[in-house]
Amino acid sequence: MFPVINWNLISLEVLITAILVILVVVDIFLPRESKEDWIGALSFVGLAGLIVFWFTQSNLTGATFGGMFIMDSLAWFFKGFFLLVMVFVFAMTQEFFKALPTRKNEFYLLLWLALIGMCFVASSADFLLLFLSIETLTISLYVMTAYLKSDSHSLEAGMKYLILGALTSGFFLFGLSFIYGATHSTRFEAIQAFVQTHAMSPMILFGLVLVFATVGFKIGSVPFQLWVPDVYQGAPTPVTALLSVGSKAAGFIILIRLFFGIFASWHIHWSVIFAALSAATMCYGNLGAMFQKNIKRLLGYSSIGHAGYLLMGAATGSALGLSAINFYLLGYLFTNLAAFVVIILFFIAQKSDEIEDYAGLVKRSPLLACALLLSLVSLAGIPPLAGFFGKFTLLMATVKAGLIWLAIVAGVNIIVSIYYYLLVAKRVYVDAPRTNSPIPVSLSMRWILGLAMAGIVVIGIFQGPFLDMAMTAAKGMYLFHL
Amino acid sequence: MIGLGNYLILSGIIFSIGVVGVITSRNMLKVLLSLELLLAASNLSFVAFSRFNGDYTGQLIVFFVILVAAVEVAVGLAIIVLMYRHFATIQVDELKDLKW
Repeated sequence: MFPVINWNLISLEVLITAILVILVVVDIFLPRESKEDWIGALSFVGLAGLIVFWFTQSNLTGATFGGMFIMDSLAWFFKGFFLLVMVFVFAMTQEFFKALPTRKNEFYLLLWLALIGMCFVASSADFLLLFLSIETLTISLYVMTAYLKSDSHSLEAGMKYLILGALTSGFFLFGLSFIYGATHSTRFEAIQAFVQTHAMSPMILFGLVLVFATVGFKIGSVPFQLWVPDVYQGAPTPVTALLSVGSKAAGFIILIRLFFGIFASWHIHWSVIFAALSAATMCYGNLGAMFQKNIKRLLGYSSIGHAGYLLMGAATGSALGLSAINFYLLGYLFTNLAAFVVIILFFIAQKSDEIEDYAGLVKRSPLLACALLLSLVSLAGIPPLAGFFGKFTLLMATVKAGLIWLAIVAGVNIIVSIYYYLLVAKRVYVDAPRTNSPIPVSLSMRWILGLAMAGIVVIGIFQGPFLDMAMTAAKGMYLFHL
Repeated sequence: MIGLGNYLILSGIIFSIGVVGVITSRNMLKVLLSLELLLAASNLSFVAFSRFNGDYTGQLIVFFVILVAAVEVAVGLAIIVLMYRHFATIQVDELKDLKW
């Protein structure tokens, strides 16, 4: 007798895959020299449809495919998150490749593939499915990172990302084999049941440390952070944006599923480890960012710092900490993507990512300067913007969990980060411009920038509904256990 | 009598060779080979655990790992070819533009 498969639960992923297949076929039949960007236009139509469809799934819960695939409030929240990230990334891609001779249709297809991987990561309830979805995401990111074949930085970034990514997925598998050996299963539910009835065994611990290598690599936490600045600088900017928000959020889902779900009953053992990792990660990121001359590299270090703040939430091990992670990521999405949209528009006009070229940006394009300032100030955590309230909830959860020293370390780091964010803002607003040529901003980019700025301000001022959303996502999590 | 421990020790040795190979190799092809060793070591321990636990999940996973390994090599080799065209060498040392 075959198990009954509930296709309703997996319908979003099926739709995304269908769109990908349709786009592949359309791409084959498009004339090579076609000037119109059909794949990009169709992608936007598809994304809009998917977001509407996503809203109808809000109350969907359950497991299917023999318990391998689950749909719960957390998965729903993060799927919406990824769709929103993709709206920004597709718009950036369209703009970025206008100025380049490279073919961009394949790039759109790879973005869709990455979206499939991220959605499956959010819904995995089995280590095998989790591994395959991580690889779907990561391998499409390898290709996208090295996409600009004539650019030596892009190639170098792709090579480094591939070597370290494949190394950590080797760690993941080796660790997984030990977890499987000790618990006789790869299903999250069975492993949690095993963990709750047994004391900690060295074999599972060994496996878990190796599995954490992949999580640490995805979120850019110490000691797996070395690739971040190099790859962020070298990769095409839309990919950097996807890495810094989408791929990081995917890493945090795995972390949440593992340490707030399956292995939560041993929480006492890793609260300290996460606290130490968090402190080390934010110090590394914020101190490293102080001396950067390239804006993408600066944001790379800053994203390591933000991974450190987010790990505070993991160290608390409380429902409040988990909701704080969700809420922070939501604010981080708008904040960071606003910065990357500005970087792309500036790069198209100026062919440079160096911070010194940003001098006097306000005279050349007040809109870009305003968006960049809002984003930097929100990243630094100055009220009343999204970044401030995110940091506030994280610090509150940390203090409530009794980790006062960690909250103090975070406070010092936030002050350090204000320094280097405002240094960039000073260049943009105070320094004299080298040229006075205005930077054109197309209508679609104005919309995207407006959306990002609205997100930063609205989440900062009306936190209530967004905080509720983050809390609901946390509370309804499958296997949630504290 | 060969027990579970022997298989795990062998797989641990292969895994260590792979990690050391990735870290110390200067030649990109060697790095890719070492990455394959990591996956091979995991496969060995999956099969060993599967055999001694008496269920088939581990053996099932191995098929998927082989698939993923093939994909990784395909992408890796493609990037190596591009790198050779661009730098006319496949030594990792040449990748040093992105620093501080």
